[in-house]
Amino acid sequence: MRIKSREDLLAVGKKALDQLYNPPVLKMNIGMASCGIAAGARASREKALRLSESEGFIVSDAGCIGFCEQEPLIDMLSPGMPRVMFKQVTEDRLEDVLEAYRAGRFDHKSVLGRMKHPESIIGEVVGLTPGASQSNGGIPELESIPFYSKQYKIALRNCGYMDPASIDQYIARGGYFGLFECLGEKDPGRIIDIVTASGLRGRGGGGFPTGRKWATARHAPGEPKNIICNADEGDPGAYMDRSVLEGDPHSVLEGMVIGAYAVGASQGFIYVRNEYPLAVVRLVGAIKQAERYGLLGDNIIGSGFNFHIKISTGAGAFVCGESTALMRSLEGRVGRPRAKYIHTVEKGYHNLPSVLNNVETWANVPAVIMKGAEWYASFGTEKSKGTKVFSLVGKIKNTGLVEVPMGTPLREIIYDVGGGILKNRKFKAVQTGGPSGGCLPESLMDIPVDYERLSAAGSMMGSGGMIVMDQDTCMVDVARYFLQFLEEESCGQCVPCREGIKQLLRILTDICAGKGKDGDIELLEELALTVNGLSLCALGGTASNPVMSTLRYFRDEYVSHIYDKKCRAGVCKGLFSYAINPDKCTGCRLCAIKCPNEAVGGEKKKPHSIDQDKCIQCRICYESCKFDAVEIK
Amino acid sequence: MVRFILNGTEVQAEEGSTILQVAEAHNVGIPTLCHNKALEPAGLCRMCTVRVSRGTWSRLVTSCNYPVADNIEVVTHSEEINKHRAMIVELLLARCPNNDFVKNLAAEYGIFSPRFITDDDDCVLCGLCVRMCERMGPRAIDFSGRGTGVEISTPFRMKAEVCAACGACASICPTGRMKVKDITDRPIMPIPAEFDVGLGNRKPINVPYAQAVPNIPFIDRTKCAHFINGGCKVCAEFCPTGAIDHTQVDEEIELDAGAIIVAPGFRIFDAKSKPEYGYGRWPNVITSVEYERILSAGGPFEGHIQRLSDGRKPNRIAWIQCVGSRDPAIGQDYCSYVCCMYATKQAMITKEHEADIDTTIFYIDMRAQGKGFDRFYERARDETGVRYIRSMISRIVPVPETDRLLIGYSDSQNILREEEFDMVVLSVGLCAHPSTGELARLLGVDLNPYGFAKTDPMDIVATSQPGIYVCGAAQGPKDIPDSVQQGSSAAACAMSLLSEVRGSLIDPPPQYDERDVRGEKPRIGVFVCHCGINIAGTVDVAAVMEYAKTLPGVEYAFHPMFACSTDQQKEIRKAIEEHRLNRFVVASCTPRTHEPLFRNTLRESGLNPYLFELANIREHDAWVHQSAHGAATEKAKDLVRMAVSRVSLLEPLYEYSYPVVQKALVIGGGLAGLTAALSVAEQGFPAVLVEKTAELGGNARNLFYTEEEGAEPARYVEELIRKVESNELITVHKEAEVVSIKGACGNFSTIISAGGKDVEVSHGVGIVATGGREYKPTEYLYGQDERVLTQKEFEKLLVQNPSAVKDIENVTMIQCVGSREPENSYCSRVCCTSAVKNSIKIKEINPKVNVSVLYRDMRTFGFKELAYQDARRRGVRFFRYEEDKKPAVEQKADGLDVTFQDAQLLRPVTVKTDLLVLSAAIRPPETTARLAETLRLPLDQDGFFLEAHLKLRPLDFATAGFFLCGLAQGPKFANESIAQARGAVSRAATILSQKEIVAEGVVTQVDPALCRACGECEQTCLFDAIKVTQVEGGKRQAMVTQALCTGCGACNAACPTGAASLAHFRDGQIQAVIHAF
Repeated sequence: MRIKSREDLLAVGKKALDQLYNPPVLKMNIGMASCGIAAGARASREKALRLSESEGFIVSDAGCIGFCEQEPLIDMLSPGMPRVMFKQVTEDRLEDVLEAYRAGRFDHKSVLGRMKHPESIIGEVVGLTPGASQSNGGIPELESIPFYSKQYKIALRNCGYMDPASIDQYIARGGYFGLFECLGEKDPGRIIDIVTASGLRGRGGGGFPTGRKWATARHAPGEPKNIICNADEGDPGAYMDRSVLEGDPHSVLEGMVIGAYAVGASQGFIYVRNEYPLAVVRLVGAIKQAERYGLLGDNIIGSGFNFHIKISTGAGAFVCGESTALMRSLEGRVGRPRAKYIHTVEKGYHNLPSVLNNVETWANVPAVIMKGAEWYASFGTEKSKGTKVFSLVGKIKNTGLVEVPMGTPLREIIYDVGGGILKNRKFKAVQTGGPSGGCLPESLMDIPVDYERLSAAGSMMGSGGMIVMDQDTCMVDVARYFLQFLEEESCGQCVPCREGIKQLLRILTDICAGKGKDGDIELLEELALTVNGLSLCALGGTASNPVMSTLRYFRDEYVSHIYDKKCRAGVCKGLFSYAINPDKCTGCRLCAIKCPNEAVGGEKKKPHSIDQDKCIQCRICYESCKFDAVEIK
Repeated sequence: MVRFILNGTEVQAEEGSTILQVAEAHNVGIPTLCHNKALEPAGLCRMCTVRVSRGTWSRLVTSCNYPVADNIEVVTHSEEINKHRAMIVELLLARCPNNDFVKNLAAEYGIFSPRFITDDDDCVLCGLCVRMCERMGPRAIDFSGRGTGVEISTPFRMKAEVCAACGACASICPTGRMKVKDITDRPIMPIPAEFDVGLGNRKPINVPYAQAVPNIPFIDRTKCAHFINGGCKVCAEFCPTGAIDHTQVDEEIELDAGAIIVAPGFRIFDAKSKPEYGYGRWPNVITSVEYERILSAGGPFEGHIQRLSDGRKPNRIAWIQCVGSRDPAIGQDYCSYVCCMYATKQAMITKEHEADIDTTIFYIDMRAQGKGFDRFYERARDETGVRYIRSMISRIVPVPETDRLLIGYSDSQNILREEEFDMVVLSVGLCAHPSTGELARLLGVDLNPYGFAKTDPMDIVATSQPGIYVCGAAQGPKDIPDSVQQGSSAAACAMSLLSEVRGSLIDPPPQYDERDVRGEKPRIGVFVCHCGINIAGTVDVAAVMEYAKTLPGVEYAFHPMFACSTDQQKEIRKAIEEHRLNRFVVASCTPRTHEPLFRNTLRESGLNPYLFELANIREHDAWVHQSAHGAATEKAKDLVRMAVSRVSLLEPLYEYSYPVVQKALVIGGGLAGLTAALSVAEQGFPAVLVEKTAELGGNARNLFYTEEEGAEPARYVEELIRKVESNELITVHKEAEVVSIKGACGNFSTIISAGGKDVEVSHGVGIVATGGREYKPTEYLYGQDERVLTQKEFEKLLVQNPSAVKDIENVTMIQCVGSREPENSYCSRVCCTSAVKNSIKIKEINPKVNVSVLYRDMRTFGFKELAYQDARRRGVRFFRYEEDKKPAVEQKADGLDVTFQDAQLLRPVTVKTDLLVLSAAIRPPETTARLAETLRLPLDQDGFFLEAHLKLRPLDFATAGFFLCGLAQGPKFANESIAQARGAVSRAATILSQKEIVAEGVVTQVDPALCRACGECEQTCLFDAIKVTQVEGGKRQAMVTQALCTGCGACNAACPTGAASLAHFRDGQIQAVIHAF
């Protein structure tokens, strides 16, 4: 069936509304994004399917709703029952949870909360709303728990709220109405104006104004023009794009079609890393569905506009996320960056005008179109509009995917959304912007997060990775860690990046090994300047950031490594020792029992001590002591 | 056009050009490492980083690929940028601490040991090789891996099938890391340089050899990567004048021609066809052509004699003669003519290079039959110490476990000996060039059985097709002078056919009005030429140009890439016009190459061409001071300053022309003279023939047949006499001789005494064809016994009275009678062949007769060897005697006893003979010396006329306007005389065909105020160009005949008062140069 009119679309949407909000029987939405699967959702789902055969309830997949920490998450809704999100529903707990839900027992240990607003932000614009609201059953609303209360979901608007394999459900959530609005009614220039006015900037990290990019492409000579979706998300600890593709692939497709129409492109590519198999599956399915409906391909919605999307899978090179490298890779060549003195938007894929935006940017586009530029621009700061998705990881309580308005202070993200530091240890730094981002200290916790302020602080927005570090993190080691990543992932073409990172890493490795020497800090600084200043692409151009930002905010750690030969965080082996504080030790023997090398000695109920000759610094005693008696010296 | 600021100066550039290109054009040096202008910029090394700003926007960019834009501001050097560059270099040094290239680079930045932990690599990963390979087509290599693991390799590090082993990667690699053997198992296939017969290599784009005409490179399409796979085209990027056009295709050109001259040359015999010599198997067995290249200073080893096996100097070298010659077993029956002499020459040059090398030549007969050849051979043998061993060598055997070679031979005592040599040179013969066959087929020209062009026995340049002529080795093996003579001869034959249309395709040169610059202050233009990198690679031409601008009188200066290019001639003309220049200096190369060009440009610009000066900053500076850039630049400034000071004082000079008398004087009415006179007439010019006897025809009247079938010189000369006497353009004076001559080339006046009367003849040229005579022997009872004849007499007997020999039993011939003796140490060239042909003749008349030929070396060269073989087949006996053991002849009642020591049998042999035929020498006529004096022409040691150059100008005299041919020049065969006579006419026609002759402007001028008419100048002048003469007013003064003056300056030195001075080289002009220095 091809959808030719808005009425057709609305009809499809209406038909699917009940699937979303008012199923005839019990419906189980299982979080089947990678995070859920990793936590065991697949087994839970299989069990649920088995049970459903006899018990007659509906099992449906859903994307990641963000609270990855609590996966597998299962959202249950049933006529006349409150809609409840159960957490950590592993296979063994499934039957209990089902029973509890049916019985109306909503134990706080298994319940995450209740979706107060499961409806789409676009739904109401197009007249697709859930209808009657359900009873609350006294369950806390998801939106009221700190993790959710500070978030506003635009890019992630459908993730976790619908079956990503169902185009009908996407339509029911207001999907593809933006496409109709643009192809049916809007002049391409007008679309670009809206996107420009919204203030949407590239969410891949560069932050280039999307509208301006499109306008340039629209006027650049060369046919055919290309629309490219960068789904080569490679930052360690960042998975925003994966979640969108796994949870809401159509939003990306719709955004791309709108973009293609705006700039006059006829071919599109999604460059997705092959390490995201589920995302690829979702995309392939979504493209087929959209093509079947006539929302993609030739003569889209009968408008005469043709646009095809092909999927290209990357082979795991981090640098292929760089636009020029990505395009070379798309062309079938080795993905290595080139100088961007002539922008890819003018001469990109096969030297043709090419608009490259990342997944999150594309996902934002339909919302911008449907809700309007003004609405979008109402979020955020002066120069950074809208919301931004962050993957919050590290030594933080609520690891997960969060989408907050631009300008939200770091402290709110970490302490309110993220729930603070694990084990209530001391916060030390937050690393933003992926491997070549910077580490920001406690003193900068109150800066509002936007492109400019993060850059000014020596870090960057990047694609949205946010790694929280506590007192047990050695900042020299962190710099070393990221440099090691970059050393491996540098394409190796240009001298400052290849040789410079190598030497930065060697110096850092030496420092971490206690072989740091006078002058190392100055040499690091001097070399870092050349690496950042002269490298060919952004990878090298930001590669020194981990060193420069840690030197800027944690210089004392370098000093103590080099001159005192001490790693106060207890990370760099050989530069610290474990000692038992006799005042705190209760002589419980736990550490002694756990020590693999029998280094802990002492009698029961008497303070223990550690034999330094035997200690292999495995950290087990430190982690296991319940009284903080094991200390780092 | 884009305008922007480069280091504070506004510059303009083409849109799309890079900062680096613009900077280079403005002489702003930006360091680069991974850049090569033939390749796409990659921006990998980052050395060329510069800062670009516009308003508040500013960033570091790589200049190699940053496109210039309006209003940007570029800073190429600053503390910041230099620090970054130094850091890059330091990083590279840490990577490659032991690589000389990187170490030198680092040293330029004052970095000697990096602060970083070092590796030990020798690849800087500049990627030049990768891009070069991509450009060449195969894309065999690329960066592989990533991060620090990146390296340049083939896919999967396997040896690449696609690699063409072209070596471009290795050649562009700055560090020397890239090796073709790492890329492919395919052998590197250097392109053997044809001219170096494979001892050296050449590139697909090359000048085949230094003397090639035109001396410009060509692209070998069979080897050029572009023509093979469409890639590369690097040459086009580097050619500064854009001269390379890969789209050129072969053209078919249709020419209307009245005559065709075929001269495809020869190929050398493939020594592998004589496997017993091991050529191609033993590295130190080489061909003579290879050895020739080894000896050559321009050859692969720059003239250092070395063995191919180990590059070491050989101590003992042997030559083996007749490899591929005189060898019926392999179908190479004929003699290759040149090998004996070139082997001798090579041995002599070897001795000159390395006196301690032993040189041995193994030969059969030493064939030194050309003019001067025997003396050369004797000098080699007796003075230089070249060892000659008369022995056929049957094989060369390698000495086990060495690179030495063993040769077995039988010595003069018939003892078998073996000797080891370090190197053996095979004196390979000359074969027909394959293209001769193709041409012959195309032209319908007949070939002889050996593939050479078949020619008329009397006319060796005439092929079987009328109007098609052949010359050089395509007709048969021959030496240089013969090739030159026959080349000219073919030209004369062709011109005879075309005389009516002579000059009809010539465009007269345009005339230019000359500006009068007298009284003007010098306004000098200076060009300082780059000559590509020839000069600019060593000399800072821009600095020299700037310096030139500061010199007095210099109004304009520029530094073109090639001053001699056509577009720069336009620039010179433009500069002269725009700046009202009246003098010009070009600082470039030697005046020998381009002075005429620049003079002509001045002429076209309306300036007198003599107001020009070349400063030779190439040969005298850049080439000889390549290692001293700074000093070379200073020297170039000196040279330019000297040239400028001289050019300021130069005066306009005028060339002098006078009409040519288009008539030739031919002295001698023999075969050569008659041919010459007729040929002159056939060219359309009158000729005056002077014959001292009463009868025309000379020696040829008694030459009845030759060794070749179908030739009857006596009959031929009769026909010739008839043609000459009936030709209206020819005036014949018999019983006449030249009494006196005056004048100069183009305009002689000669007095001939004919029949007792003096006749004055005006002529433009003279051809000396005074012939020779047969020596009348005084030895071997000649004149005492009527049974002793000369060959000539014998021939006459055979023809005119064959019955006289019908029944005789024995005929004996003695060779070298009067030839190759200490007092007449030349070979008479024809006698061996005469003996052979007469032997055959008598055998034909009287098959039973015993013919014995007593010879020293059988010199039946070229195809005459076939007659020698024929004679032997017919049973003619050849006995060799040694020069110092001459035969003795005794009169006996029943005949003559000829006794001699047989050099083979090593014992005395006596043959009885009924007739003794003496192969008597050819001598110059007795009158030659007197004539030479009258004509002021030189004679050689043997009394023959001496040509201008034995090899290269065998038809010319050193004195312009006179030419020689026939036996007057030396012994030769009748057909050779004919060819030579026509050749001489061809040479003469170069003058006869001109209406006037232009004499150089650089001649002596006499200041009448200073001349005391002392006559010193007249005494000194070798050319009769200056004479003390009565001038108007009765005063006596030295006067210069401009046409005769060669500008040698001898009279200047002789003149006691300084009255005679050579224009263009006046004292003041020379002193100015010295003072400027």
